[in-house]
Amino acid sequence: MIDPIGAAIKIASSGLETQSARLRIVAENMANAQSTGPMSGADPYARKTVTFESELDQATGVDLVRIKNIGVDHTPFRIEHDPGSPAADSKGFVKLPNVNMIMEMADLREANRSYEANLQVIKQANSLSSSTIDLLRNSS
Amino acid sequence: MIPALSLVGSLFGTPALSQALPAAAQPAGVAAAGSDFNHVFAQVGEAIDTLKSGESAAISGLQGQASVQHVVESVMSAERSLQTVVAIRDKIVSAYQSISQMAI
Repeated sequence: MIDPIGAAIKIASSGLETQSARLRIVAENMANAQSTGPMSGADPYARKTVTFESELDQATGVDLVRIKNIGVDHTPFRIEHDPGSPAADSKGFVKLPNVNMIMEMADLREANRSYEANLQVIKQANSLSSSTIDLLRNSS
Repeated sequence: MIPALSLVGSLFGTPALSQALPAAAQPAGVAAAGSDFNHVFAQVGEAIDTLKSGESAAISGLQGQASVQHVVESVMSAERSLQTVVAIRDKIVSAYQSISQMAI
């Protein structure tokens, strides 16, 4: 595909897919913000992190974006004293996930903005392409 | 929309149109007209591939196997191909008509 407008749409579309995957990770983190471990003293849900990398598309020769790795955040877990919880250890301490809601909100907002930016690129490229084709159509 | 895409695809797949138009346009006196039209219709073949991939992406999206983004990208690409093909066809037909209505 030599068409630069088509290539722009393809690139922005890969951006949409990665940002929606990032949104999914944020959703997992937020939903599991209170998930404790399966048994007494076990580790709870660990916050997931997502990194991106560029990927050369062989067919078109452009740099797309893709998910590089979905990793695990190694910051220490929060510990609360709650002897009644099934996940409490022998001393009554419960490990809670290392999810920080404010950080997740910031990440969510960033994913949202990035998604909108890519959408805008697609809209713009599509309208440019349409008006270029209309040039052929109307000049008869 | 999907039947419409298939319809246009099969329209350009018919040999009648692809043969009739270059033959009709050649009396215009342009020496290279034949090869140019062949080139155009070879590219129409590629456009049909784009339409087909748009259709299959739309169907796999309906089945839940493809992301919305992928479906939208494929269908938009098919739409752009279709617009280009239709614009070129209109151009060819209007060229044919202006030749056939020429006062002798």
